Amino acid sequence: MKHFDLIVIGTGLAGLTAARTAAEAGARVLIAGRGMGALTLFGNTIDLLGEIPPETDIEEGILRWIGAHPEHPYARTGMEGIETALSEFQRLFPPPYSFAAEGRRNALFPTGAGTMRPSYLIPVTMAAGAAMTPGETLIVGFRGFKDFQGDTVSLHLKCRGMNIALPRYGLEGMTALALARLMDEASFRERLGETIRRQMGGERFIGLPAVLGLRNPAAVLKTLENTTGARVFEIPMLPPSIPGTRVFHRFREELIAKNVTVLMGHPVTGATVRDQRCEGIAVQNPPLTAEYRADQYILATGRFLGGGLSAGMDRIVEPLFQIPVFQPGQREAWFGKRFFDPEAHPIHHAGIATDADLRPVDGTGNVVLENVRAAGSILAHHQAIEEKSREGIDIATGFLAATRALAS
Amino acid sequence: MDLRTEVLIIGGGATGAGIARDLALRGIPSLLVEKGDFTSGASGRNQGLLHSGARYAVNDPDAARECIAENRILRQIAPHCIEPTDGLFVSLPEDGSEYRANFIRACGNAGIDALPLSAREALSLEPRLNPRLIGAVRVPDGAIDPFMLVVENVRDAESRGARFLIHTEVTGLIREGPRIAGAHVRDRITGQSYAVAANWVVNATGAWANLILAMAGLQIGLALSKGSMLLTNTRLSERVLNRCRPPSSGDIIVPNDTVSILGTTSVREEDLERYEVTAEEVTFLVDELSKMVPDVKGERFNRAYAGVRPLLRSAETSDDRDISRGFSLIDHEQETGLAGLVTITGGKLMTYRLMAEKTVDFLCSRMGLHVPCITHRQPLPGAGLGNTLKDRLLHLRRQTPASRGEILCDCELVPREAVDAILREGKVRELQDILHRTRLAKGTCQGGFCVYRLLGLLNELHGEREKGGSNVILRGFLEERWKGIRPILWGTALKEEELIESIYKGLFNLAPGGPEQTERVNE
Repeated sequence: MKHFDLIVIGTGLAGLTAARTAAEAGARVLIAGRGMGALTLFGNTIDLLGEIPPETDIEEGILRWIGAHPEHPYARTGMEGIETALSEFQRLFPPPYSFAAEGRRNALFPTGAGTMRPSYLIPVTMAAGAAMTPGETLIVGFRGFKDFQGDTVSLHLKCRGMNIALPRYGLEGMTALALARLMDEASFRERLGETIRRQMGGERFIGLPAVLGLRNPAAVLKTLENTTGARVFEIPMLPPSIPGTRVFHRFREELIAKNVTVLMGHPVTGATVRDQRCEGIAVQNPPLTAEYRADQYILATGRFLGGGLSAGMDRIVEPLFQIPVFQPGQREAWFGKRFFDPEAHPIHHAGIATDADLRPVDGTGNVVLENVRAAGSILAHHQAIEEKSREGIDIATGFLAATRALAS
Repeated sequence: MDLRTEVLIIGGGATGAGIARDLALRGIPSLLVEKGDFTSGASGRNQGLLHSGARYAVNDPDAARECIAENRILRQIAPHCIEPTDGLFVSLPEDGSEYRANFIRACGNAGIDALPLSAREALSLEPRLNPRLIGAVRVPDGAIDPFMLVVENVRDAESRGARFLIHTEVTGLIREGPRIAGAHVRDRITGQSYAVAANWVVNATGAWANLILAMAGLQIGLALSKGSMLLTNTRLSERVLNRCRPPSSGDIIVPNDTVSILGTTSVREEDLERYEVTAEEVTFLVDELSKMVPDVKGERFNRAYAGVRPLLRSAETSDDRDISRGFSLIDHEQETGLAGLVTITGGKLMTYRLMAEKTVDFLCSRMGLHVPCITHRQPLPGAGLGNTLKDRLLHLRRQTPASRGEILCDCELVPREAVDAILREGKVRELQDILHRTRLAKGTCQGGFCVYRLLGLLNELHGEREKGGSNVILRGFLEERWKGIRPILWGTALKEEELIESIYKGLFNLAPGGPEQTERVNE
C-alpha cells in the first residue's frame, strides 16, 4: 500500500489549499472528499474580512480584529500567515484570469439582489463592478434565467436593465453551467456582445450574471468589452457559482500536475485512531472501501453543509473522528429568534477548537489527536457568513495546517 | 367609500367563508372582511384532517356523530379538496386492548365504520408502523385541504354576489341605539379607513372573537389552546395514523399530498399575535410519534407551525343557546339586549358547514325568511376537477418543455405562468397571498430559492421603483419563514439553513436592519 506524507480530507477551498501547499513542498499527498465544497456554491470572490470598512487599511483592520477576537482562526494564522497564503493563492491565477485587491482595502461589488457587498480579492471578470456608476451602467439578464433577476438588480442599483432572449435555447436548459459553457464558444459570445451593443444607450459599464465562461473567462470578458466598447463585469448570483467552479478546476488541474492523488467524489467514511494518532482512513469507492495511510492528516470537511459537523437533536458532533466540538448551548439556543438577528446565530460559534498548531483540543485545551489538524470553516469561533471571511479562513488555515503538518 | 350590505361577516376562515356561501345560496347579500388573507387563523393552521369522528367516539359521541355526518357531506360536495385516505387507529402494547374494544363499540354506536385489523394486516397496509403494534382499526378518516376548501366557498359565494375584502381589519363597531349597525374597517395595506353599514354583523373570528366583542363591551368564555404541528419532508404513510388510546397530545400523523403532518400539542395561550412552537414541543412530538412510526426519529422536517383553537369554556357549553356541543352560536341580543350582532365560535374545521348552516338559519328566522339550506347537497364549483398529485404530474407530462414555461419553484414544480395568472386576477395584495394560492415555497427549501425568483414579479405587484421595494419584502418573507424553520433546525434541515443563510446574508449581504446598501461610499 502506498504511504503518504499527508492525507487531506475535504475538497473545498481549505483542503485544496492544504494539498497544494504540501505538494509544492514536495510531499506525497492524497486528497479525498465527497463534494466540491462551499467554493462552488458561494465562492465568487475571495473574502478576507468584509467587516473591515472599505476606508480602512486591511492589515490594520485584521490586526485590530485579531486583538478583539483572540480565538478567531486569524489569530492562529496571524497577518503574516494570511498574506503569504493569499499571495500563494494569487500565484495560482496568473493573468489574464487573475485575482487582485483594490489597493489594500475591501471594495464594494454589486450582487444578484442589487445590494453592494464588500470583498477583498476579486477576479478580473468582476473588477469593473467596483468602478461602475449607476447612470452609466446597463444590467443585462437573460430571459427565463431565473437565478439572476436582472430587473431587481437594476432597480436597486438605479441602473438601466434589460433582458435578452436566447432563441436557440429552451428554458429547461437555462442553468448557470449551461450559460457558462455557451460563453466558452467564441461565436456565441460575439453574437451576444453584438446584441448588447445594439441596445446600449451610451453606457460605460455592463453588468452580467457571473456566467462568463468556465474555461476561458478572460477571453469572454475581452470579447464582450471589445464588441460593446464598455467595461464588463460579472455579478454573483444564486448557487452554483461559476467563478467558484473555475477556482475548483484550477486547483484540481494543479494538484494533478503536482502528482497529488486526487479522489474527488469519494467520501471518507472512517478513521482508525490509536494512542491519539490517526493511523489510516477509509475512503468509499463503491463497491469497495479502500484504506489509506499517512503520517499526517488535515481535516477540512467544512461545516454542516459540507458534513464536517453534524447536528442531532441534542448536540453537535464531528462525525469522522468524534473530535470534541465546541457546543453553543442547548438546541433552542442555537438560533436567534429572528433570521436577521443583529448578532450572528450562536450556532456559528460551534466548531473545532485548536491549539496554535491547528491541532484539535478538548474543552480543557489538551490536544486530542497528535497528527491531525483542522482547517477551514470547521474551526470554531468565527462567523464566516456575517463577517465575510469564508475564503480567507479557508486559504489561510489550509496553508498553515499544511505547513505545520510538514514541519512535524 | 363607505359600503352597505345586509350581513357583514368578520373573519375569512372556513366558518366565515361557509356563511358567505350559505347566505349567497339563499339569496342574502353579504360582505366579508378578513384582516389577513383567507385562512390566516386556525383554518389554515391545523392538521388538514377529515375527521371520521372516531377520535371522539368514546369520549364525546355527539361530536362523533356530527363529524361522520359532515365527513359524508364533504366527500360529496368537496371531493377535490379531499384525499380519501382512510385512517388507522393503532394500538401499541402500552395502549392495551381494553380501550380498543371500547373504541370499536363506540364507533359502531356513532355509525362510524370501524374495521378491526390484525397487527400483520396493519403492517402490510402501513409498513412503517412500529412492528410491536398489537392491532389496528380502520376508519373513514381522510385528508382535506383547508385553503382550497375556503377558496372554493369564496369563489362560489362571489359568483353569487357576495363580496370579500382581505387585508381589511375591523377597528370598531357602529352602534345605533340598541343595535350594532355595521363596522369601521381599515385597509391594512393602503391604510384607508371606511365604514361598512349592515343590518347584521356576524363575528366569525374564531380565537379572535373576544377582540371583536370587546369593541361592543362584550365578552364570552373562550379558552385559547395552542396546538403545534410538524411538517415532514416526505409522506410517512398512506393513511391517517392515530394512536388507539384516549385523546392525547402527539397521537396523530396525517398524510398531506407529498408530506405528512405530525400533531399535536395543547398549550394554553394568551397572546394571539405572538405564539410560537417551542423546542420542547418539537422534541415531544418527535419522541411521542416515533413510538407509532419509528422513522419519525430520522425524518427531516420542513417546518413547524401552530394554530390556536377557540375552546368554549364548559360553563358556556351547558348553555341552552348552544346549537351543538363543540361550537356555539351566540345571539348577543338575548344576552345583553344588543341587537344585530351574533358570534359563532368554537367548533372545528370539520363542522364549518354546519356552523354556517346554523348561523344562516338563525339569521333567516330573524329576517322572517323561509329559505332552506342547500349547502349539504350543492357541490362546490370545482368538484369533479382532479387535483391529486397524480393529476398534477399527468398535467405536467402532457406539456412540452416549451409550453410548460419557466418553473419558478423546483421543489414543487410551480410554473411562472401559475403565478402570473394569479397576479392577473388582481386579487392578491402581497407575497404571502401568492404563496397561499400556489405550492410555491411549500417544498423542501421552503422558498429559500424560489422567493428570489419571485422578486421580479413582486416589483410588479408593489408598483415599480418603489423605494426599498422587493428586498424589504424579501427580508419580511425570510423572517416569516424563520418562524416555521427555527424550531426544526437539526440534521438535514440545519444543513440547508446554512445554505440559505449563506445566500441571503453572505452572498447577497442583506443586512439585519436594512435598508440595504445599494450605493458605494467614499467614491
